This record gives sequence, C-alpha cells and structure tokens, in this order.
Amino acid sequence: AVLDGLKYAKSHEWVKHEGSVALVGITDHAQDHLGEVVFVELPEVGAAVSQGGSFANIESVKATSDVNSPVSGEVVEVNDKLGEAPGLVNTSPYEDGWMIKVKPSNPSELESLMGPKDYTKFCEEEDAAH
Amino acid sequence: MRLSRSLHVWKMGTVNYLEALKLQEKLLSERKAQKIGDTLLCLQHPPTYTLGKRRTEHNLLISESELRNIGAQLHYTERGGDITYHGPGQAVLYPILSLREIGLGARKYVEQLELTMIELASLYGVKASVGEKGETGVWVGDGKIGAIGVRISGGITSHGLAFNIDPDLNYFKHIVPCGIADKRVTSLRKETGTVLLTEDVVHDQLISCFARLFGFSDLIWRENGLCSETKDL
Repeated sequence: AVLDGLKYAKSHEWVKHEGSVALVGITDHAQDHLGEVVFVELPEVGAAVSQGGSFANIESVKATSDVNSPVSGEVVEVNDKLGEAPGLVNTSPYEDGWMIKVKPSNPSELESLMGPKDYTKFCEEEDAAH
Repeated sequence: MRLSRSLHVWKMGTVNYLEALKLQEKLLSERKAQKIGDTLLCLQHPPTYTLGKRRTEHNLLISESELRNIGAQLHYTERGGDITYHGPGQAVLYPILSLREIGLGARKYVEQLELTMIELASLYGVKASVGEKGETGVWVGDGKIGAIGVRISGGITSHGLAFNIDPDLNYFKHIVPCGIADKRVTSLRKETGTVLLTEDVVHDQLISCFARLFGFSDLIWRENGLCSETKDL
C-alpha cells in the first residue's frame, strides 16, 4: 500500500510533514521485503540526521538492515513503542510503526522526494526488473 | 535479456574472525562505491563465539576467561541473529552483494541462503529444511546444521552463513545456539555416517550451490589471496 499525503525515498522510507515536524518510517513495500521485524534500534532524541544517511537499524529474520532518513534535521521524538512491539513496523508501517520525528533543517529537501504515484511506479519497476 | 552476472570468489582457508570482519568492511565500502562487483568469501574460523547486534550474552553459558581457556575467542558484531560458534570443520560464506542489483529484500536473501545449504546437504543425501517460524537456519530434524546471520548496510550484504561439515560439536555446549534452547546441533558428518567428506570439495560444492541459486553464471576465483590483480589486502 502506498498512502497519499506522504513523500517517499528510493530506499523505501516515507516522510509526512506535519507543521514544523516531519514524521518518518519505512513503507509497506519495505516491511514486506524485510520480513518479520524482531528488533528496532532507534537514535537518541537530539541526534542529527541527514538526508540519505542511516539513522536506525531494523533486525528481521537474522538480518540487520539500516534505515536511511529522507530528510536532514534533529530527532525530536522516537517511537518508544517499537522497543516492546517491533512488529508494529510490519502491521502498521505508516501509523503505529512510525520511527522518528524530525525537526527538518532544510524543508526544501522534501521536493527531491517522490510522491505516491511516482513511488508506486518506482516499486513496480524495481520488482519487475528481476 | 538477462546479462551474465559475475561473482568474485575468494577461497581463504582459516582466517581470524577480526581479520575477516575488517576485510568485509573494506569490501563493503568498495561495493557501495561500485569499485568492485559482487564478491563471495569462503573460509573457516579458529574456535570463535560471536554475538549479534542484540548482544544476547545470556546465551553464553561460560565466562570469558573459561572461553579463553578452551582456546576460543569472543566477538561482538553488527549482524542479525543470536549467539553462535564458528570453528574448524565449519564452512563459512560471507557474500558481499548488492541486494538492489539482484532485486532481493532481506527476507528473500535469507531464504536463498537457507536454500543454498539445503541444496548442499541434498548432494549428500541429507534431507535438510528450513526451521519453524522464527527459527532461521537449516535443520535436519531437530538438529541445526546451518546458521545464518546477516548485515545489510546501504543495500550491501555482509556476514552470511555457516554450515557444519564436521566441526567439534562439543563447542556448541557452551552456548544456547542461536538462542534456541530445546534443539540440538548437527553436522554433515553426523548425518552421513561413513561417507568420505573432503572439506575442500564440500566448500567448492557450497560455492557452486550459492552461485547457481543466486544466478551468477561467471565465477572469478581468487585462492588464498593470490590472484592476477595487483591490489593488496
């Protein structure tokens, strides 16, 4: 599923701009390709993130995968629920499975990301190529 | 049209765990920067216990000094998975691949690593299979014959799989292998009885199963660090 109102990165993370804060998580496509999430390692509040840089790590089926931030800025909140319920990333990737809230340092970065239609097409092309 | 895909294969003999880790880090950066193509390391380690990113130390049943007394090392890693043992008689594969280029997600990649070991076991008439839900790895009945622990960074893999050809299974007694308490550990030797096993041959077969399953049609071999390239480790 691909939701409207969100922007998407090529490494399958989404970002939702809510006023002065950006909410970030991984997409449905990403959680499906990862498999069952058993552990999520999030950054500390106050950490800096940069667009395209790794900010978190997800463990699923004996694989740890890094997660990249679609925007640069400062982490203002992290989803504590993921400590006890990492599976929220699978069951609710766009809502309860959100990962961090970022105060964007450069809101124009959002323009370089894909909208829902482009992201859907991107996923189709990626999956079809193999 | 499917282009022919090349795999650089390094057969390395026995390598210290930290050295192998450093080499993987180096290859990982080079793969990310697209300076090198997909690469596969095939080796074994001296007696070594390793922990994954979650640091499940409670699954190590002896102290660090007792561990050193039995001639083993302990290392902490960034891979997924729980505690495991590596040692002589166990074939280890570390694929450094670009998952995006092959079009695999983490789950499918791990599944193919499992299939690689299942295929190898079948060459010896051993029927191995994947575990129950949540028990990644390759099993013969309730005996674990192959383990997996992978790291994916920037879409590039490191760490990989370990297949028990004929390791000293007593070393597994000092851990709760992969955090799974009520199962055993087994090996190709244990499952095939009197069949002659030549480790070097099994390594080649493992590499061959891997290459076939992952669609690599062109293998470029580099043995013991010697090859025609001028780059040094």
